[in-house]
Amino acid sequence: MSFWFWNGLRRGVQTTRYPRAMEPESGVSPGRPLDTSFASTGEAERAAAQCPVGAIVARGKLAHVELGRCIHCQRCHFDARHPLEWKYDYEWTTTPRGASGYEVLPKVYRKSVHVIVVDAGDCGACLHEVKQLNNPLYNVHRLGIFFTPTPRAADVLLIVGPVSENMRVPLRKTYEAMPSPKRILAVGACALTGGVFGRSAMSAGGVSSILPVDLEVPGDPPPPLAILHGLLAIIGRKGVAAEVTS
Amino acid sequence: MVEIIRGSLLLFFILCGCGIVLSAATRGKAPLRVVAAFGTLCAVLMMLASALALVSGQTPELRLWNLEGFGSLSLSLDTLSAIFLFISGLVYLPASLFVAHLLGKAFHGRYPARRFGVLHFALMGSVILILTAHDAYSFLISWECMSILCYFLVNYEQGQTMDTRAGYIMLAMSEAGFLSIVLAFLIAGRMALDFTFPALAAGASHLSQGGVWGVFLLGFLGFGVKAGLLPVNFWLPRSYTAAPSAFVPVLAGVTLNLGFYGILRLNVELVPSHGCGPGVFALVTGSITALVGILYATTEDDMKTMLAHSSIENAGIIVAGIGASMVFRALGFAVPAAIALTAALYHVVNHSVYKTLLFQGAGEIEAVTGTRQMDRLGGLARFVPGLSVVFLVGCLSISAVPPFNGFVSEWLTLQSLLRSAVLTGPVVKIVFALCGAMLALTAALAVTCFVKTYAMSFLGIKRGPWNLRSAGRYGKVHFSSVYLAVACLLLGILPTFVVPALNRAVEPITGASAAASLVPPFFTATESNQQLPSAFLHDFHDLGAQTGSKIVPGRGLVLLVRGTEQNPVVFAMSPSYSIVALAILFFLTWFVVTRSTRKRRVSRNELWAGGIPRLLPEMSYTATGFSNPVRVVFQAIFRPNIVEDTRQTVSVHFRTAIHRRRDETHLVDRLFLHPIGDSVVWFAKFLARMHHGRLNAYVSYVLGFLLLMLLLFRLS
Amino acid sequence: MSVARSGVPEGFDLDRLISDVQERFHCAVSIADNGAIGSLNLEELPLLPALCRYLFWEAGYGFGGLIVEERFDHWELRYAFLVPSRGWIEVLVKLPLEVASIPSISADVHGADWHEREAEDLFGLQFEKHPRLGDFVLHDQFWGEGLAPFRKAFDMTQGHGNGQHNADWRPLLVVRDPGAFAMPVGPVYEGGIGESVHFMLETVGEDVLRAVPRLFFNFRGVEKIAEGRDVDQTLLLAERFAAKSSFAHSLAFCSAVERICGAAVPRRAKQLRIVLSELERLRHHAGTITGICESTALSVSAAHAAIIEERLLRASCRFGGHRYLFGLNTPGGLHRDVTDPECHDLLEAVDQATETLKRLEDGLLFTSSFLDRLEEAGVVDEESARDLNLVGPVGRASGRGHDLRRECPYGGYEQYPFEVPREKQGDGYARLRILFEEACQSAGLIRHVISSMEHGPICEPCRPKRPGAALGWAEAPIGATLHWLRLDEAGLVERYRVVTASFNNWMGFHTAVEDFAFQDFPIILATFGLSATECDR
Repeated sequence: MSFWFWNGLRRGVQTTRYPRAMEPESGVSPGRPLDTSFASTGEAERAAAQCPVGAIVARGKLAHVELGRCIHCQRCHFDARHPLEWKYDYEWTTTPRGASGYEVLPKVYRKSVHVIVVDAGDCGACLHEVKQLNNPLYNVHRLGIFFTPTPRAADVLLIVGPVSENMRVPLRKTYEAMPSPKRILAVGACALTGGVFGRSAMSAGGVSSILPVDLEVPGDPPPPLAILHGLLAIIGRKGVAAEVTS
Repeated sequence: MVEIIRGSLLLFFILCGCGIVLSAATRGKAPLRVVAAFGTLCAVLMMLASALALVSGQTPELRLWNLEGFGSLSLSLDTLSAIFLFISGLVYLPASLFVAHLLGKAFHGRYPARRFGVLHFALMGSVILILTAHDAYSFLISWECMSILCYFLVNYEQGQTMDTRAGYIMLAMSEAGFLSIVLAFLIAGRMALDFTFPALAAGASHLSQGGVWGVFLLGFLGFGVKAGLLPVNFWLPRSYTAAPSAFVPVLAGVTLNLGFYGILRLNVELVPSHGCGPGVFALVTGSITALVGILYATTEDDMKTMLAHSSIENAGIIVAGIGASMVFRALGFAVPAAIALTAALYHVVNHSVYKTLLFQGAGEIEAVTGTRQMDRLGGLARFVPGLSVVFLVGCLSISAVPPFNGFVSEWLTLQSLLRSAVLTGPVVKIVFALCGAMLALTAALAVTCFVKTYAMSFLGIKRGPWNLRSAGRYGKVHFSSVYLAVACLLLGILPTFVVPALNRAVEPITGASAAASLVPPFFTATESNQQLPSAFLHDFHDLGAQTGSKIVPGRGLVLLVRGTEQNPVVFAMSPSYSIVALAILFFLTWFVVTRSTRKRRVSRNELWAGGIPRLLPEMSYTATGFSNPVRVVFQAIFRPNIVEDTRQTVSVHFRTAIHRRRDETHLVDRLFLHPIGDSVVWFAKFLARMHHGRLNAYVSYVLGFLLLMLLLFRLS
Repeated sequence: MSVARSGVPEGFDLDRLISDVQERFHCAVSIADNGAIGSLNLEELPLLPALCRYLFWEAGYGFGGLIVEERFDHWELRYAFLVPSRGWIEVLVKLPLEVASIPSISADVHGADWHEREAEDLFGLQFEKHPRLGDFVLHDQFWGEGLAPFRKAFDMTQGHGNGQHNADWRPLLVVRDPGAFAMPVGPVYEGGIGESVHFMLETVGEDVLRAVPRLFFNFRGVEKIAEGRDVDQTLLLAERFAAKSSFAHSLAFCSAVERICGAAVPRRAKQLRIVLSELERLRHHAGTITGICESTALSVSAAHAAIIEERLLRASCRFGGHRYLFGLNTPGGLHRDVTDPECHDLLEAVDQATETLKRLEDGLLFTSSFLDRLEEAGVVDEESARDLNLVGPVGRASGRGHDLRRECPYGGYEQYPFEVPREKQGDGYARLRILFEEACQSAGLIRHVISSMEHGPICEPCRPKRPGAALGWAEAPIGATLHWLRLDEAGLVERYRVVTASFNNWMGFHTAVEDFAFQDFPIILATFGLSATECDR
């Protein structure tokens, strides 16, 4: 048994320094496309047409990116005919479209907040990224963020997935079982807009059609640091990106 | 004073007779009213007579008849009888009212209430006769009457599908026990002038060692039948289950005590043993009985059977206390003997009260829902809240939770076993230690058992298909249950008044005063009074044992276990002070919590079950599931037979059903009843070989017997 | 530990099969050009169970899956069977649309049980003598019966509006003991962060006698959504319905499209595809090992394994541009190329991961408290594994050694040497050993392929010019996966069918969980390493 102890000591501290400092290692985020100006309107429109889900909208010569729709298919990035500018960051959390602002949780939750994660039809990637937050490289416990299995003890409801039909009632019950104050964090393109599944008889096309979403984290999947940024934004330790642009 | 007592006893018998006559004469529901009214009056008289007898210390005597060649039949009420008489009165009061309450609605018309009324009063009379008998003949005659009356009452509902064999087994065992008791009295009376109790006591000192052992074994096992001791108690669960719910409270609260009375009278008072052997035998038997009883109670699903096994457990604890007392007395330690005997008597009182309460509760549950299976109950607290509160009081009492009465008597019993530190022989000490451990395990299992009972019946979701029958009448809690619950509480918080009362019976038997060592006179002793060492008094004044001396009369409110000079106080406790402290704490907590959370919003939501649409009754714990760990851990004792364990499948991989049924044969049945029965049958078959029908052989039998008789006559 | 090739019954070959089949079952055997090596056209429907029994038990073939298609005027049912070391054959049954019922083969081929239940729920086909139909994909609490949402007539875009639950619904409980009850677990899982699965653990208080999983809480109807989309859009769906094996699914899909188009994938693309598949397998197994360590509450080892997995995720992101390798595969090759320094970087990361895994394995095998909990936990014997058609590492731990990379090699695997580990005990410990060994083999494959990487084009564009149907397959980290694709004249998807490894293995999960102590439940679940969302699609 002492093997574990010495091995751990020998490895040293490997946890990221975020949120005190940005994480320098590459590979922590797939990055995102930025709004890019093109030479002509036509080129911008051709650039926008590259996106299979319509996340890029041509506004004159500017190819504007609606990050909430982006499914990270990389068609506008690698070997694209009209590549967009790309940035490898991860602070992507926004308020939902049309929302006036975000009411932060009371101050007592800044150092200790409990999160319940509900898989509402998720593909597995977003859920897996959330799970990575518990590993030593990210270690959310040091920030006072804990994952709890019961909604009775939870403050934040983290939803992944486009809300499949069979999960509609359990999700609703989970939300109602949480005591107030409570907030909802929708994580992933599916939870925001339905992703590639969209709206159908089997899927509700995003959480906002069922429950009031407080903050959204776009990406498919958003990397763990983006989800961490979202959690920190919910408790008020980080600011929300008003509109995720360049 | 004596006149009053005698007068009240006479009045009691007159009222009993009136009760019998009136019950027989009236029809319809009237006999039940007679039972309620006259029964209550008789119970009050019983309590009055016995209380006066205890307080005054005088023993009135009643001479009845003089039988030719046998001696005189007489009754007398000494302190030991007075205690048991008081307990009987205490139990008969609510029991009579309960009879009217339960039989009035549920079973009216099916069985004549007259019969019940007559038997009820007859049994009451015979019980009093047993308790006040002053010679062996009246004792034995009334014992036999009581046995037969019990049999009639147990088989009162003989038209039911219930096993009438249960009553028959009870009768058979009672008769066997009776035979044993008769033999015991015969042996005891060999050296005595006649068969009155004083004469027997005088003659006992001339009995040989073997005689004393004979009286003890025969008497112990004979009375043990009624008291519910291993190995002769296999009739008890069956009879308690089969008996009508109106009668079982009396069975458990009154007739069970007769067994203890018999043991105390014959084996402790009249014919005491000189060595510690009989005491150790009683102690060990009691402890094993207690453990086996509670094991079967914990894993039982039927509420009445469970309570019956629990009665066996409590009987074991009582007899263990009696046995410890016998050992201490035989080895010359009078004070520990007194403490142990006080503990046993206290437990008799407590057990009668809370067991009656629990059986009444079980009867009401059966009347309300139609079922006794705890697997099928659940959620009753919402429908019958009053009953749930009193039943909870009963469960807490029997689990020995302060501030109720069970706590005090269990504590005293275990403390008296701990006093074995004063003993010198190593074997006896080891036996005491082992028995103490068994009783501790029993106490823990009792908590499990009653947590299961209360929680599975009253809390949770409704699991069975029953609907509430006549909830209106049974929804409100009956006076008798409240009376018993209050008695449980009072007996628990005023032990310092109960112990001196019990002491009046204990002191003549053991020769030492339990009250002097358990309940020191903190209130009545001043600094200068030499009853207690002044340093000791000083310590306790500092601790506040004087508090309340102006309000509450009596000796004090603290129970002590005194030790040697170096360690004067081994342990002290006071349920009276603690209930006041508890009440203050509860009030303070309530006050603080309600004040500080006034601004909070409370939202009520449905139960969280993982997000499934509805929590169904199939998804909640059953009583069997709750007690399964006990069943598995003690598998060696239970040895369940797997009756059915099949897996039904359609095409190998698809399971449609898994059928499992386990049956258990009771330990006693397995070890005693079946082997004895089998050997008797074997012997009978062996002898049956003589019945072969050949006439020549029969003639030769006659000839052979004649020759044998002639030879014997010649030789003698 | 034994490592062996999967066996073929001695002396059984395809010619004998063909003659047997033609004689006994009156089947016409034809060559198929859709990925299967042969097609058995069954005319007489009542002979279907007998034929499947013959193929599964006597010939010893594995059962792949049931593919149901509603064509314009008839049903086409394809029962896919795997011929070891050769490829796939299919039993093709054509039925009129008004057919009343189809004989169920699940009495003989138990692995077909759930396939038939799914077909009944989604298409409304009735299977005779199936022990239990209904309440499978469409939970009866929320949906009614008889909806058949996968039929052409059903409009997927409209919500069916039935949000309320059926108040009379009761679970089907199997244990009939007077004191039995069922503990519900899920769908919002008690274990913390987990997928939505619901279990009813039936017990009498001590041991759990039976645990029945209720899946399809994550059902999004991927197969139906794909209808009418073009290949590119469907590729996005294929990658994203079960992201932890995303590359394997996209590989199977692309190979189906390539087969329809008749395209040839360039050599470099094949090699890179192998590298990426094995990278995904390595990372997936590290994740499963993390799960096993977490379930036994050996937190330190779980942390170590989690670090390995996260580093592999980062390495995948640097190499392929996305942590889960989205957006790389395309029909005809890969979307983008990689440079040599990137390959070198990946090799370094893989070496580091292998070394740490080896050290972790050594540490775990010496921790007796950990092994105690895994040994004899959730035993699936070889008989049951065969019976229920378990695939992947779970099947291989119970002695059933089918690995598609060996049985019907695809994408160039036949040119590289690697071992397929096999165990016999079928308990949690055996499954753990298989995971470690397979991770090691994957790392070895990556090294081998990168060292022999050729230069050349990365993609051969492939546009479907005519309607066609084909089967694509891949050995995903959890096991064998089939994708069946039919395109119409416009190149749009007419039918997309996915048979996943998790679907097959969840079916077999319930044999492992019978008569176990309640505390072992998370451990058995973790050693199986199944994915509910991959099963639900």
